[in-house]
Amino acid sequence: MNIIFKTIRDNIKTPWGLWLVFLGTLLSIALVAGLSVFWFGLSITNLTDLVPWGLWITLDLSAISVSAGAFSLCAGVYLFGLKRYEPIARTATFIGLIGYTMAMLALILDIGRPDRFWKALVFWNTHSLLWEVTMCVMLYLTVLVFESMPIFASFEWLRNRYPRVAEKMAKAHHYAPVLAIIGLGLSSLHQSSLGAVYGVIKARPIWYKPEMAVLFMFSAIVGGIALTLLASMLSARLTPKAKVSDILIERVAQFLGYLMIGYLYFRFWDWLAQTYTYEPGRTEAFEILTKGTLSFNFWFGEMIFGALIPTFILLYKPARLSPLWRMLGLAMIVGGVVVFRFDTNIVGFLAVISYLPGETVVSYTSYTPSLVEWASAMGIVSYGLLAFSLGVKYLRVVDHRITSEVHETVHVESSDAVKA
Amino acid sequence: MTENNFSRRDFIKLSAVGLAVAAGAKAITKVDASEGAKGEHQWAMVIDQAKCTGCEQCTLACNANNDTNPDIQWNKVLDAGMINGKHVYLPRPCMHCEHAPCVEVCMVGASYYRDDGIVMMDYDKCIGCRYCQVACPYDARSFNWEAFTGENPAVPEWGEPEVERRPRGVPEKCSFCYNRIDRGMSVGLVPGVDAEATPACCVVCPTGARAFGDLNDPHSNVSQILKNHPSYRLRENLGTNPRVYYLPVGEEGIVEG
Repeated sequence: MNIIFKTIRDNIKTPWGLWLVFLGTLLSIALVAGLSVFWFGLSITNLTDLVPWGLWITLDLSAISVSAGAFSLCAGVYLFGLKRYEPIARTATFIGLIGYTMAMLALILDIGRPDRFWKALVFWNTHSLLWEVTMCVMLYLTVLVFESMPIFASFEWLRNRYPRVAEKMAKAHHYAPVLAIIGLGLSSLHQSSLGAVYGVIKARPIWYKPEMAVLFMFSAIVGGIALTLLASMLSARLTPKAKVSDILIERVAQFLGYLMIGYLYFRFWDWLAQTYTYEPGRTEAFEILTKGTLSFNFWFGEMIFGALIPTFILLYKPARLSPLWRMLGLAMIVGGVVVFRFDTNIVGFLAVISYLPGETVVSYTSYTPSLVEWASAMGIVSYGLLAFSLGVKYLRVVDHRITSEVHETVHVESSDAVKA
Repeated sequence: MTENNFSRRDFIKLSAVGLAVAAGAKAITKVDASEGAKGEHQWAMVIDQAKCTGCEQCTLACNANNDTNPDIQWNKVLDAGMINGKHVYLPRPCMHCEHAPCVEVCMVGASYYRDDGIVMMDYDKCIGCRYCQVACPYDARSFNWEAFTGENPAVPEWGEPEVERRPRGVPEKCSFCYNRIDRGMSVGLVPGVDAEATPACCVVCPTGARAFGDLNDPHSNVSQILKNHPSYRLRENLGTNPRVYYLPVGEEGIVEG
């Protein structure tokens, strides 16, 4: 026990120690909030029958979308043969694993009967978009676990204590191309289906459009790559444990800039289509975005700072070459995707379409997340930050010196025993 | 490196494992949410807005018979505005749509069609994701944000509870009093004709504004009314084909009380 106290005392003053204390505090608050949700039920949230999906669903959608770097970068590295970007794919895979578990945590809070979560896997309504998303997410999480095995195999303690296990785990690396194919398939399915979850809802005209799937897919790809690059650069600035190759990151950032043009094209097209004619319910909801309560989010969060400015930063060479500007641009893209998810979810609820006959009457409702919702959501984010920080410190998830050959070293170490 | 180590044999092996897993999973349970199968009966409700006075006795009878939380109304009575200086009301039960969005979206199949067209809720299967609530165009579903443990103020004045209370964490909605229909028919009664086999809201209505019956029976009350009078359904443009029909204000007293 004394050793533990001594370790804590020695570390508490360091930035790392303070970071852990900060995250630990948020996690403890979230634990209380989460347990009270399970104990008292969803009545302690600000969710209502008119706004049944709120902050947690946004967190779920956002965590999954910014995890999309895993499938897009893995596909690039293992399918299109861009081998030199492998270290970035490694970071993306780890972020993906964290993001998907964050989404699971958010969902277990959100469903009314968390004790019955397993029923989602046993009872199948194959017609439901949520069924498809659940299946893909579960399968993809499994793929991510396999894809991350070589990362966990580089844990020093594991290598020393269980060399054979570490060797086996490192070998999962050989299956990377196959895992990338499966991952690409599953991700393409559920990233777009998450949009389709909203896109098939006839009752809410602002959602009821096929491009929901396209927008969710595209925003996930840009958000996922942006977060991967941002997390890599940020860790390299904060700890010597992370080693990045700025040339690699800069190249991917430029590519991301071009992707952003594609994203902007789809957003612009969607925006024009929405404004074309009056459609009961849709127009009112759209005006909430452009002129109403969500207008700040929409114009500044999604459009100007979320898409236009970062696209310019990433495509304008002098800005892109500056690490600070580049990081700012990447952070804006991640923020833009999160705000896009929040607005998309909430706007469908805020304009309530009456079912009375005759002229369609639209009334408005509001939603502000409760303290419990915020506290638990912040806790889930803290979990993500903590997991990533530990990964950087102990698993070298951000280390661009690691190439595929390094994974082979696990093999060499463990075979020593046989020689002796 | 991978080209050499990952052989075709490995790929085939892995694919075989994948297929086996998929086949095993498929064998677990499959819920069928395809189109509502057409059974012998197709229950429907007709509500005559000319007769409805907005007294809300239907809501009270529903609250008592289905033992709902006082915050929750399966059958809501809305003020639909004024026509000719008179208030017009619109009672809204569940529409029991032929193409019900709630059934289509439910991931576990907790919402499902009965052969007689009733859209049912399996409260034991539901995981409480609320996608059905998001999808319902009629706002017909209410979520149990908390457990209903107190006294039901509508009991016993407006009836006795006939079904179990729903637990916390699942959405609930009007069931066309399927329990009354099933029990009544098992003793030879006819829903829509005999009060014991008819939804409580139709039985209690003091002005006789609600009719209930079988659309498959051309001689039933509802079939006859719909044949001889103009009617409409809510948000018909969505193609959900509700089984609740409304007779608009205009003619006086179409439903024979």
